[in-house]
Amino acid sequence: MSAPGENAAGATTRIPILQAEGITKRFSGLVSVNRVSFEMYENEILGLIGPNGAGKTTLVNMISGTLKPSDGELRFEGQPIDALPPYQRAHLGICRTFQVMKPFPGMSVLENVTVGALFGRGGEKVMAKARRSAREWIDFTGLSHRVDARADSLGGPDRKRLEFAKALAMEPKLLLLDEVMAGLNAVEVEEVIELIKKMRERGVTILVIEHVIKAIRSLSDRVLVLHHGEKIAEGDPAAVLEDPRVVEAYLGRRRQ
Amino acid sequence: MRPLPLAIAAVVVVLLVFVPWLASDVMMQFAIDALLLAVLAQAWNILGGFTGYVSFGNSVFYGLGTYGAAIAMAQFHLPFWVGILLGIVLAVLCALLIGIPILRLRGPYFAIATLGLAAAMGAIVSNLPIAGSNIGLVLPLIRADTMFYELSLGLLVLCTLTVLWVSKSRFGMGLVAIREDEDAAGTMGINTTVFKIVALVLSALFTAVAGSIHAYWISFIDPASAFDPTLNVRMVIMAVFGGPGTVFGPLVGSFILSAIYEYLASSISTAAALLFGIVIVLAVIFMPRGLANMIGGVRARGPRYFLQNIRENRL
Amino acid sequence: MLLAQILTNGVLLGGLYGLMALGMALVWGVLNIVNLAHGAMIMLGGYAVYYLFAGLGVDPFLALPIATLGMFVFGYLLQRFVLNLVVRSAMLNTLLITFGLNVVITYLAQLAFSADFRTINPGYAGSNIAVFGITVPLVNFAAFAIAIVLAGAIWLLLNKMPLGRAIRATSQNLIAARLYGVNPRQLYAVTFGIGAALAGAAGGLYGTIAHLTPYIGASLTAKSFVIAIIGGLSNPFGVILGGIFVGVAESLTALYFGPTYSDVISFGLLVVVLIVRPARALRTA
Repeated sequence: MSAPGENAAGATTRIPILQAEGITKRFSGLVSVNRVSFEMYENEILGLIGPNGAGKTTLVNMISGTLKPSDGELRFEGQPIDALPPYQRAHLGICRTFQVMKPFPGMSVLENVTVGALFGRGGEKVMAKARRSAREWIDFTGLSHRVDARADSLGGPDRKRLEFAKALAMEPKLLLLDEVMAGLNAVEVEEVIELIKKMRERGVTILVIEHVIKAIRSLSDRVLVLHHGEKIAEGDPAAVLEDPRVVEAYLGRRRQ
Repeated sequence: MRPLPLAIAAVVVVLLVFVPWLASDVMMQFAIDALLLAVLAQAWNILGGFTGYVSFGNSVFYGLGTYGAAIAMAQFHLPFWVGILLGIVLAVLCALLIGIPILRLRGPYFAIATLGLAAAMGAIVSNLPIAGSNIGLVLPLIRADTMFYELSLGLLVLCTLTVLWVSKSRFGMGLVAIREDEDAAGTMGINTTVFKIVALVLSALFTAVAGSIHAYWISFIDPASAFDPTLNVRMVIMAVFGGPGTVFGPLVGSFILSAIYEYLASSISTAAALLFGIVIVLAVIFMPRGLANMIGGVRARGPRYFLQNIRENRL
Repeated sequence: MLLAQILTNGVLLGGLYGLMALGMALVWGVLNIVNLAHGAMIMLGGYAVYYLFAGLGVDPFLALPIATLGMFVFGYLLQRFVLNLVVRSAMLNTLLITFGLNVVITYLAQLAFSADFRTINPGYAGSNIAVFGITVPLVNFAAFAIAIVLAGAIWLLLNKMPLGRAIRATSQNLIAARLYGVNPRQLYAVTFGIGAALAGAAGGLYGTIAHLTPYIGASLTAKSFVIAIIGGLSNPFGVILGGIFVGVAESLTALYFGPTYSDVISFGLLVVVLIVRPARALRTA
């Protein structure tokens, strides 16, 4: 396992875990994502930023398979995945969280996470074993005190923990985190950052969509910036965040 | 499921087996009807309760089961079990053929599509000569209430065991996940299409067998009675009244409502149908999660339970 | 010539179908309730006009506004005191409760009106006018015209009047509407009342050209639903066009396959429309 930061440097020689080539999404004439190409390498954390409406979530939806690209190609571990429905991508190890947290509201925390263990890449067939591994992930994310609570009774931070536990129980290779820090206070953001780092230590490759710049800065090995559906910058976080085009497009607009 | 309810259930089943030697003819009529209705509610529960796909068209599978038995026995003089098989084949084929397009629809779209299907099916069958067209079919007459009773009871036990398995299995977890949030279920690795279709097929299968048994028992069928749309009202409300998505809720709900219905039907016949409508309205307002939740839930007790439900859902 | 006649019949009938669906589409779009008792309310409107005509001798077209007003009050009260209790719960529950209401209304109607066929049959019921050799039944034409006028009225209400703007705002966002001082409880009841009034008007007209029984509700609900989907929930004229489409399809089916298949054709249309245009069906669900 390579140390963070090395990935970007070794990019040209290694086989990427995810390749996006000219990904485009048009909604009845409106271009939401326009010919975006990028690569993700094993065990790296890629930060995806951009103003609201830049097409970040649309991009994640296309990677997880809930939306079909109008154009372009996606490869996961070298295999084209464009024809695969979401559940098959989940079996391959592509896993996502939703911007609006989507726990199964009427299920308990344990049941929610068990679903991940049963149907994810691990695909555990035996209920008892799935429950056991679900408990482990609930411990890992620090949610053990709410194991039997109904998911819709959880508060904001616990809901994020549940989302992580569900995702991790699926044993993902590639994890897509869509604004998991939105609505959290500074302390909670810190906790989530630690959690994401812990996940990476377990070998997961992670795409982080985030508005919290501090989090992007401290987590990402590389950053990719979308604006009006187009990639306007990519590379080292410090450099990209200083890039005048990025400042103008992203930070400038956010300040309004 | 804790061992105690299971033990109680087992004892009740054993006791129920001996009912035919104790009950009067009238009681037997009622018992067979109640058992078959409970099967319908329980079969509906697999799709409506666990998967969250509300079907107002399960009468179609019931009708196909009815006609399977009737066509095999009246037109081709085949034995009853062949009729049951034919009914199952017809219902499962229909579930696959109709289910695959229709299960892509969600919420009210699915519900209304099934409602339309129920209406369309009656019209189609009444135009088929092999099904006796508008006139119907007469099956060989047999007086064997005990057999019909035990068959119905056996079917109900089988159906309930299936639901019990669903409630504890990986498959059932997938169904509940679909009910709770279908998009999320898909991204978590559940092949939602296959799960939904299997649930529909299971539901169709048990419903069809109930139809076959009923056809042979009644020994005369026509499109109006086989595809009776009010049957949908009954099975849905029984399952919902008892507690959709639970193992015993639909059974309890259907037995209670059958008993009330029978009592009212014997005193004031037209009001009995009306009762079902009123029960639906009141149940949705006061106990939207069914009897099972009211008794077993961790929510407020007594009148506060009802007020809490209203407070949550009113504007 | 036969085809032209059939098409004319279909268009005239379809206008009325559109009016039936209009109330359902309005309630669905604004309250997010698919009212399975909508057909039963159409039936009630029909009986109201029937009894005003047969019992009191009021001309059906004079009785129509009275029945419409009566149904508005009925719908307003129903939403205000019954449906309002469950309006925020899952769609399953609003489906079930309106399904239950459908049963209640149907059987109450059976007790009150008996199960016999009724037709609203004024002296001019058989009158026709001939246009280019096509027979246009006067009553059907009047029903069609009234449907168009009411659709226009609804369009004006929604687009040009403060009440309509409030209704549309509420359908977009309940919380925002509340901020603008709209009382959603009141507005929901008014909207549902308008939906019921449209159902009542459609029912009265339906009674002048077809049989009334207490049991017509379910198939009219299904038909209204199909039309609401084809026509869309936002534009009244779209709904009328959807109705015309279904009316023409039904007339052609009756001509080529026989009248028993007209229920089958609306179901077939429903499935086809939902499959050809699944995006909308999946999004709103």
